[in-house]
Amino acid sequence: MDLLMSLWEWLGENLVVVQILIKIVIIVAPLMLCVAYFTYAERKIIGYMQVRIGPNRVGPKGWLQPIADAVKLMFKEIIIPSGANKTLFLIAPVLTLGPALAAWAVFPFGDGLVLSNINAGLLYLIALTSVGVYGVIISGWASNSKYAFLGAMRSAAQIVSYEIAMGFALVGVLVAAGSLNLGEIVRAQEGEGGLFNWFWLPLFPLFLIYFVSGVAETNRAPFDVAEGESEIVAGFHVEYSGMPFAVFFLGEYANMILISALTSLLFLGGWLSPFNGWPLLGPMFDWVPGIVWLFIKTAFVGFFFLWLRATFPRYRYDQIMRLGWKVFIPITIVWIMVVGLAVVFEMPWWFD
Amino acid sequence: MLALTDFLMLGAILFSLSVAGIFLNRKNVIILLMCIELMLLAVNINFVAFSHFHGDTVGQVFVFFILTVAAAEAAIGLAILVVLFRNRRTINVEDLDTLKG
Amino acid sequence: MTFELFVFYVFAAILVFAATMVITRKNPVHSALFLVLAFFTSAAIWLLAEAEFLAIVLVLVYVGAVMVLFLFVVMMLDIDIATMRAGFVKNLPLAILIAIAMVIEIFLVIGSGSFSLDQFAAPLPLPADYNNTASLGNILYTEYMYPFEVAAVILLVAIIAAIGLTMRKRPESKYQDPSKQVRVKKGEDRITVLKMDAED
Repeated sequence: MDLLMSLWEWLGENLVVVQILIKIVIIVAPLMLCVAYFTYAERKIIGYMQVRIGPNRVGPKGWLQPIADAVKLMFKEIIIPSGANKTLFLIAPVLTLGPALAAWAVFPFGDGLVLSNINAGLLYLIALTSVGVYGVIISGWASNSKYAFLGAMRSAAQIVSYEIAMGFALVGVLVAAGSLNLGEIVRAQEGEGGLFNWFWLPLFPLFLIYFVSGVAETNRAPFDVAEGESEIVAGFHVEYSGMPFAVFFLGEYANMILISALTSLLFLGGWLSPFNGWPLLGPMFDWVPGIVWLFIKTAFVGFFFLWLRATFPRYRYDQIMRLGWKVFIPITIVWIMVVGLAVVFEMPWWFD
Repeated sequence: MLALTDFLMLGAILFSLSVAGIFLNRKNVIILLMCIELMLLAVNINFVAFSHFHGDTVGQVFVFFILTVAAAEAAIGLAILVVLFRNRRTINVEDLDTLKG
Repeated sequence: MTFELFVFYVFAAILVFAATMVITRKNPVHSALFLVLAFFTSAAIWLLAEAEFLAIVLVLVYVGAVMVLFLFVVMMLDIDIATMRAGFVKNLPLAILIAIAMVIEIFLVIGSGSFSLDQFAAPLPLPADYNNTASLGNILYTEYMYPFEVAAVILLVAIIAAIGLTMRKRPESKYQDPSKQVRVKKGEDRITVLKMDAED
């Protein structure tokens, strides 16, 4: 153990790049595992919601299903359409997955437990989520297929529209916390009231809007017009098969986990215990490490993604646009003003 | 060490490239707009570099304003382009000759 | 050569390459994508110049919004690439000549040593608690308050102008009015009961 620690310190002094690479692997490897088992959870949960049992053949209770899926996709042939632009066609899936992984660089898993503690963390996150559109646009264009192109155009317009609502919701958080640093934002939610001190209460409309915009941003049901099986086959990734398709799939689920994790970080107190400062329950749960709370919260929000998909029929496209521009953006603007006033007048409980 | 000259030379090369781009693609309005964006980027690099080497944030404030105005310019430029294409079915600069005195 | 200088040269090379591609590619979609690359690399270069706020804003505004708009328009318009490229070869010598002349002229000025390290010493490393966003905000919301508001108005005008230019009434397409749909009553709006005489 001591040897490992001294080796680690030696790396930090001499080969910082190697040390950072090891840290990245420590973050990304469990994340990919989470992504794999999130797909399993989705199929199971939606299965039970529809009164069937979901995958149950591979391994005990179907636990090896994601692995089997991955292996199957890896061995499938990669078909590149004859009229497609080969380079762009193959780059597009990577551009979907890349930003979803890069965003974790500024994500604090605990107090001070963060790869890169930058001041403008929140801004970095907004910038990266806006870069995610390119994977969709490029794949739709490079496939040289009408369905793919339609899906890409739909999805690009949708993502760009909801990004604004999402950005405004984040501005509310930024005003409330008074910092762009994600660690500071979580620390601003700390208090004697436990879960009532978190931002979901004073920023409730923004919390809802952030989450719903996140669902729209990841092209998930009921906002999945970009894929819309019954309308445009599978949207922007019709032409993809084998590993490139798997990478798209990974990107979508990694994005969902990212949005869930960010929602729990920005509105649900991140690594803080929900019983913090409560008379009896507070000390009882003191031993639980912060990262466990973060995981529970992320899983909770992630469950909503699946629940929404099992519950709602698909939105019509003009209604999606109306919801984004005419409902969400005005509400966020009004609520940012409310939060601003609350911060200026130091409203008790949250901003005093 | 990284000197101010390095940044300025990069800006100069970028600016000259975009001027050349305007000469080369003078029929295609979209690429002309892109070249203008590239020019503004070159200017912004100079501003950021000067701000860094002077230790003065004002240079960055200017970049901020240039970004705003350039975004507005791109939005209106593209809107005009779309309307143009809708009416004339072309964006070739040479075909836009209906405004004769 | 320090590591910083090495990183700068790598990014500068990518940036110049991307810019060259923007102006020489046949397909405007490729040009737009190379322009995205150019913005991305220059954001990295701005990070080297310790302008982290602007670097991220550049990615956010340009890569995330403006270039998406460009790509959208380029992909939607059905452009005849062949006629667009007609004058390319003819203009090439002139363009190269002018670009080289400009580069030489500018280099004569900036390469003369008046911007070298002994004139402008490398700035001292910033204190650990320095916050680029905060310092930019402090100056933007005090000294530059009016210009800031003018910029906001310019953006508003741009929004209105862009919408006003491209909006058009299309009587042939059918729209639903959601508020009208919501206001529908259960009885009289949905079913009309007609009185009819019994037929023989």
